[in-house]
Amino acid sequence: MSDIKYLPGKEPHEKECRLIFKNVDRQGWDTSIETYLNDGGYEVLKKSLGMDPKAVTEDVKGSGLRGRGGAGFPTGIKWGFIPPKNTKPVYLICNCDESEPGTFKDRYIVHQDPHQLIEGMVISAYAVGAHTAYIYIREEFPEAAITLERAIAEARAKGFLGQNIQGSGFDLEIYVHRGAAAYICGEETGLIESLEGKRPYPRIKPPYFPAAMGLYMAPTIVNNAESLCHVVHILRMGGEEYVKLGTPRNSGTRILCVSGDVKKTGYFEVEVGKITFRELLYDMCGGPKDGREFKAVIPGGSSSKILRCNESFTIGRGDDAKDLSFWDLPLDFDTLAAAGSMAGSGGVIVMDDTRRMSWVLNNITHFYAHESCGQCTPCREGSTWMKKVSDRIENGQAVPDDVKTLEEIAYQIDGKTVCAFGEASAWPVEGMIDKFRDELVGETSEDNDFKTAERIAQEEFLSTAQ
Amino acid sequence: MSSKIEVPSPRAINRKRLEYIRLYSPVKVDVPKARPIDRSLLKYGGSEPSVLEKNIHSPVTPGAINFPPFKVTPELEQKADQRIDHYPADQRRSAVLPLLHEVQHHFGFISPESIDWVAGKLDIAPIKVVEVVTFYPGFRQKAPGKYHFRVCRTLSCAMGGSYELMAKLCEITGIDRSGADSHKDPISVSPCGNYSVEYAECLASCGTAPVCLVNDDFHEDVTADKAKDLITQYNG
Ligand SMILES: Cc1cc2nc3c(=O)[nH]c(=O)nc-3n(C[C@H](O)[C@H](O)[C@H](O)COP(=O)(O)O)c2cc1C
Ligand code: SF4
Ligand code: FES
Repeated sequence: MSDIKYLPGKEPHEKECRLIFKNVDRQGWDTSIETYLNDGGYEVLKKSLGMDPKAVTEDVKGSGLRGRGGAGFPTGIKWGFIPPKNTKPVYLICNCDESEPGTFKDRYIVHQDPHQLIEGMVISAYAVGAHTAYIYIREEFPEAAITLERAIAEARAKGFLGQNIQGSGFDLEIYVHRGAAAYICGEETGLIESLEGKRPYPRIKPPYFPAAMGLYMAPTIVNNAESLCHVVHILRMGGEEYVKLGTPRNSGTRILCVSGDVKKTGYFEVEVGKITFRELLYDMCGGPKDGREFKAVIPGGSSSKILRCNESFTIGRGDDAKDLSFWDLPLDFDTLAAAGSMAGSGGVIVMDDTRRMSWVLNNITHFYAHESCGQCTPCREGSTWMKKVSDRIENGQAVPDDVKTLEEIAYQIDGKTVCAFGEASAWPVEGMIDKFRDELVGETSEDNDFKTAERIAQEEFLSTAQ
Repeated sequence: MSSKIEVPSPRAINRKRLEYIRLYSPVKVDVPKARPIDRSLLKYGGSEPSVLEKNIHSPVTPGAINFPPFKVTPELEQKADQRIDHYPADQRRSAVLPLLHEVQHHFGFISPESIDWVAGKLDIAPIKVVEVVTFYPGFRQKAPGKYHFRVCRTLSCAMGGSYELMAKLCEITGIDRSGADSHKDPISVSPCGNYSVEYAECLASCGTAPVCLVNDDFHEDVTADKAKDLITQYNG
């Protein structure tokens, strides 16, 4: 592996551990199947097709792989949820909607290494017994949709797709389905509705868990593109070997996407939990821009709660409890959850001391107000209200109480909606107010409390009459 | 410091407030009168606007000169049939997004006529196509320019200067974005019909902010000072 050369300026950092991104920015690499085959591609597929599908699932379970799409749910366990007595066709869907702000990893997989994804999908489909699979790709990747369709045709011509794959008797067709620029299509049940040709209104869970009642009411497994690529490496190394990467309960590698105010932005594939914020932001990203200081970090896509760089946290319970400063937090699912945020999709957005938090908050609330599907009231109305109140704060037209109002709106969305978009839109607001209340209140003023004649009359009434 | 979060309780219902509203309502509210539809702005005129025309926004823009009027060709039919084949035979409706993408690719935007065609092709009521077109920001309801710029406005790009990029693009191409509305009418077209702009949400390349899509081409690191160069690439 050491003879792999990367394009000048794009070499991986020495602390990286490249599995999924092995071929990204690689010298002499292209998306054709010949290149992939020359590199030993599709060997794992051949090996897996010789195994029992149950053994493949067991390997993935044993690897401890947790979904890379946001929720971090163990992939092998998800596959096990297909009802055993099922008689309907099973579908596999690759979620390549990648629209969580701050995340940009699937982009490189589908643009530069489509065959890795296809190999992972064939193995996964074999394990769950699917004969039709869809790649749901966001509309803003037009070039990748073409690349993928070409790669699928190539794989078909070489007998890695279609009927009787490599003489194993297993059939699979993969189709590319393009979305149309809606963030909510990333939510798995919204994605399924979209694939059925409807508005992507997420379904209520329970009862509509995709593994039992998914696409066309048949069992459906939805996995993120990165998760499906990990399957190839798990089968290559064996679950027991793979689990040694990373840390306990957080096995394997994952891709961290860093954007915002650092010297060197970009993607870094690291072993989960082996890298702390200090290593990531100072060693790998080269520290803050000249003359500035780090202020806050959003650790897992814009839906995760923001963390202040000068905080410290108590991680763990009882005797295991440790006090860690922000800089010493390892980036894994459990630690970030214990710190009150989440590892999410791996999108790290960094802000330095030149950023006004009210401006950041306002940008985020605009995103969620635009992307709410509008199906349930707390989310549809709440996200718009949050946008309006944060507009006021940002423009300096707010009264101090507005911050409290904003917080109340957020807590009344959280947990009361059909899909997790409710939390996704409320958490950043809750987190921001929790960590930067003083700064936000500092931008408001009692002088803005403009009273209309009607309001004065109302207040008088409320204070006197009983 | 542990990060225990205190959840504020919702404000109690203020009975007195309700009483006040009961006593002093109805408060007079100015409801704007609905404007009559200007028939000359609708491209496909009949005597009565159809349900499609009433529900989708398709005024003629200067960009319309760049696109042929909607017409069903054997080539389009064939492409559509290929797409429909990707889904189970009893689930033709699934092909609504791919068919609309075909239409938009050839004709620039989704017109009422094309909706009728897609609905016929899939054996569903036109309203089921309308509801899809009106939901997804990816489907345009009026002709964009020959070159459609989609500038990312989400956090990382905004920090990298995408608002400035948008302002610069508008300045160079003479586009007036004042009437744009992110929900109802996101696209603004230049008077010459060659260019149009729209804000997009995170284009999944935040590490190379600010980014934009021009038709199907993706451009990274386009700060405002590169706007001029970007536009000169698209002047044919
Ligand atoms: C609002 C919302 C948006 C989401 N967007 C994405 C997305 O863009 N890409 C993705 O892979 N998962 C997304 N997810 C997560 C999916 O619902 C689902 O959990 C994931 O595709 C499962 O794959 P995994 O187990 O491999 O992570 C989103 C979830 C929510 C609630
Ligand atoms: S929470 Fe929001 S996005 Fe999810 S179903 Fe409800 S309205 Fe739609
Ligand atoms: S914020 Fe612009 S690409 Fe993500």
